[in-house]
Amino acid sequence: MITISDLHKRFRKTEAVAGLSLEVPEGQVTAFLGPNGAGKSTTIKCLLNLYRPDSGSASVLGTDSRKLGPAQFTQIGYVSENMELPLWMTVKQFLDYCRPLYPNWDKAFEAQLLTQFDLPLTTKLKDLSRGMRMKAALLSSLAYRPKLVVLDEPFSGLDPLVRDEFIRGLLELTEQEGWTVFVSSHDIEEVQRLADRIAIINRGKLALDETSDSLQSRFRAIEVVLPDQSRAPVSLPTDWLHAEQAGRTLRFTASRFQNDTQLAASLREAIPTASTPEIRPMSLREIFVALARAYRLEGK
Amino acid sequence: MLPFSIQLTDGTPVSDQILLAVRKALLTGQMKAGDEFPSVRTLSQELKISPTTAHKVVLQLKDAGWLNSRPGIGMVVTQPDQPGLAERLAQITPECRALLKEAAELNLTLNQVITHLKSL
Repeated sequence: MITISDLHKRFRKTEAVAGLSLEVPEGQVTAFLGPNGAGKSTTIKCLLNLYRPDSGSASVLGTDSRKLGPAQFTQIGYVSENMELPLWMTVKQFLDYCRPLYPNWDKAFEAQLLTQFDLPLTTKLKDLSRGMRMKAALLSSLAYRPKLVVLDEPFSGLDPLVRDEFIRGLLELTEQEGWTVFVSSHDIEEVQRLADRIAIINRGKLALDETSDSLQSRFRAIEVVLPDQSRAPVSLPTDWLHAEQAGRTLRFTASRFQNDTQLAASLREAIPTASTPEIRPMSLREIFVALARAYRLEGK
Repeated sequence: MLPFSIQLTDGTPVSDQILLAVRKALLTGQMKAGDEFPSVRTLSQELKISPTTAHKVVLQLKDAGWLNSRPGIGMVVTQPDQPGLAERLAQITPECRALLKEAAELNLTLNQVITHLKSL
């Protein structure tokens, strides 16, 4: 659906995207995560031909991003946290204005989403709450049933109820054949249940690209009890992250977990005196925090 | 609305949690053979999960013999062929013995353990 190869984009002295490569597969929800300033929005704007990459390339729906035109944009839905909307229009005027731009506009679907989102037709966009305005923007980007939906920080500042409605609306689309969602966020909490894949960008480069299933199967929180007065060895296996000892308890994050037996074996090897380990699965949020510490994720 | 009770929590994969909730609903009679099972879209919308995950759950339930696809209706709950009650209970007897032993050591009454089991 999207293929990004060695993408670079610089603004004066700042290299916002610094050699990013990423593949976004069809039929999945890919979460594009990273701290504020990591290059998420710049990447998305390059994908949608809103920025011209300095070097490298991106292909979207099989077309070079620099050549995207009206034909492709009828297949792409884009909602961004700070997108510019014609605020002077009412919801009805806004939809009347969007409809003719898309030959594939589905009026029945528009009506369904209008009811679902509870949008007031005669209110001007500028008089809508932020949540309502985001729903109007989403409606105008879903009603033509695009094959690819790109969302740039769609949830920030939305209350939980609106967020739920927003996600429900989005999921309506996945009923059709051939759909793909690419959603950026600085907060994994917002997307952790929705995401099939997690891509993390840090300082303009890809730090991780993996399925949620694979992350959840290879990460475990481990706790062991050590004998009195003993300290864990300084050098532990490199895939054990953030080892911390408090009193007799040693905690760490196993990042290459396979099974209990294998972990117990490597524990016996590393710390022969340790107790039987407590092994606990981790939420994607916990895994993200562990990864963020490991990669020292920061914005610019 | 979903025809089974579920409160998603962090930690264990979403698909495992749904499988557990569905099995529990079948055991308690909240869902019975012949009931319609929610579509992938309903599952994903109600739980705000990816349709891919919802689809996977439905396939797993189908493989385990809990669901059957009926043309025109969608997925229908089926009770898989299973051995008699005595045989099924025999399967969990060792775990039950171990649980009772552990409960006794912790000074827990049978009723306390039962209440706890129900709350899981």
